Amino acid sequence: MMLKQVAKKALGLTSRQSTPWSVGIFRSYHENVIDHYDNPRNVGSFDKNDPNVGTGLVGAPACGDVMKLQIKVDEKTGQIVDARFKTFGCGSAIASSSVATEWVKGKAMDDVLTIKNTEIAKHLSLPPVKLHCSMLAEDAIKAAVKDYKEKRVKTNGAAAAGETTQA
Amino acid sequence: MKKTKTMVASISTLIRRTYPSTNRCNSLATIQSQTQLPRESLQHHSSAEGRLRFSGRVFCSESGAGCWNCGEKAAFLFCNSCRSIQPVDDSVDYFQIFGLEKKYEIDPGSLEGKYKDWQKKLHPDLVHNKSKKERDYAAEQSAKVTEACRTLTKRLSRAMYIMKLNGVNVNEEETITDPTLLMEIMELREAISEADDSTSLNQIRSQVQEKLKQWSDSFVEAFESQKFDDAVKCIQRMTYYERACEEILKKL
Repeated sequence: MMLKQVAKKALGLTSRQSTPWSVGIFRSYHENVIDHYDNPRNVGSFDKNDPNVGTGLVGAPACGDVMKLQIKVDEKTGQIVDARFKTFGCGSAIASSSVATEWVKGKAMDDVLTIKNTEIAKHLSLPPVKLHCSMLAEDAIKAAVKDYKEKRVKTNGAAAAGETTQA
Repeated sequence: MKKTKTMVASISTLIRRTYPSTNRCNSLATIQSQTQLPRESLQHHSSAEGRLRFSGRVFCSESGAGCWNCGEKAAFLFCNSCRSIQPVDDSVDYFQIFGLEKKYEIDPGSLEGKYKDWQKKLHPDLVHNKSKKERDYAAEQSAKVTEACRTLTKRLSRAMYIMKLNGVNVNEEETITDPTLLMEIMELREAISEADDSTSLNQIRSQVQEKLKQWSDSFVEAFESQKFDDAVKCIQRMTYYERACEEILKKL
C-alpha cells in the first residue's frame, strides 16, 4: 500500500480530487485504464547513465503531457529485462505508458518496435480523442530503444577504435 | 409592321440591359435566356452584386444585403435600427467583435466592458418573445461572443488563435523529443508533486509565471517577424507552463 502511495505521489496524484472520474465528464474511463491508474505498474526510474538502460523522453505539447519510459536490456541476449515509466498527463497517457512497460518486458528490442499504438488503445478502449496518448507511448518505446542503441554504438565505437577492421 | 415589331423588340432589349430588374432571380433568368447578351452586362450585374455582398468593411451581416429584418446595411451582429439579432457570420473574427486590431498584444481590461455591452444586446434571455429564428441567432451569437472573450483573455489561447488566423494550426497532436525542454518540464512537474506546503508551491508558481511572461514576449517577437516555427515552439512551452500552473493550483 505504501508503494501505491509513493507511486501516486510520484505521479502527482496525491488527492482524490485529481482522479479523472471525479471531473464531470460524460464518458467514464475503461476499467483497464482505471486499473492502471489505481495500480500503476513499473512507476519509477533507472539510472540514466547505466549503459544497459535506454531512456525515451517524449512529450505531447498540444496537451502538455510528458512521458519518460526506460528499459533495462540484457546486453548478452538483447532482451528487455525490466522497464520503468514516469508520466505527467491525463489518465489515458498514464495508463498507456503503464501498459507499454508491461508489454516490453521479456521481449527482444526489435520485437517491441512493432508494438503499435492501436494495440495499446484497443487494450484500454481509448476513445478517439485520447488516441494520441497511445501514440505517445509507442513513441516512448521507440525513443527508449533508440537511446539504448545509440549508447551501445558509442561504447562499442570506443572499444573498436583499437581493433583492426575485418574485410 | 415587321419593322415596328423588331424596333419594339430591340427597344425592350435595350431597356432590359440598362435597367436590370431588382429581383435578382428574374434578372439572372433573363440573362440566361438572352444568349446574345454581351459580356459587359453580365459583369455589370455581378459587380453590382459584388458591391452589395462584399462591401469594403466586414461590418455587414452574412446575407450581404444587410439586416434580414429591415435591410439596414451596417448591421454588425446586431441591428441598431430594428434591434434584431443577426445570424453568425463565420468570416467575423474575435478581434473584430471587440473592435481590436489583429495583434497579439491587447489590453485584457478592454474586453470585459465590450463583452457586457454585447450580451446586453445578444443574450438569449432577452429574446423569449421573438421568433424561433431570432432566438437561434441569439444563442449562436451570444455563444460566439463568450468564446471570443474567453479566447482573447488568456495569453496562450490568444496566441494560438492569432496563429490560426494566420493559417498556422498549433494544436496538432505531434510528439516532440526535444530533450532540454522535456527534461526541464519533467523536473518541474516532479518538483511540484514533491512540494507539500503552500510556500514552496507558490514559489514554484511565481517562477513558472515568470517563464510564461518571458516566453510570451518571445512569442510576440517570433510572430511579428513571421518566424512561425519559433512562434509554435513558444506556444508549446507556454502550454507546458500553463499545465504546470494548473497542477499547482490543484494542490494549493
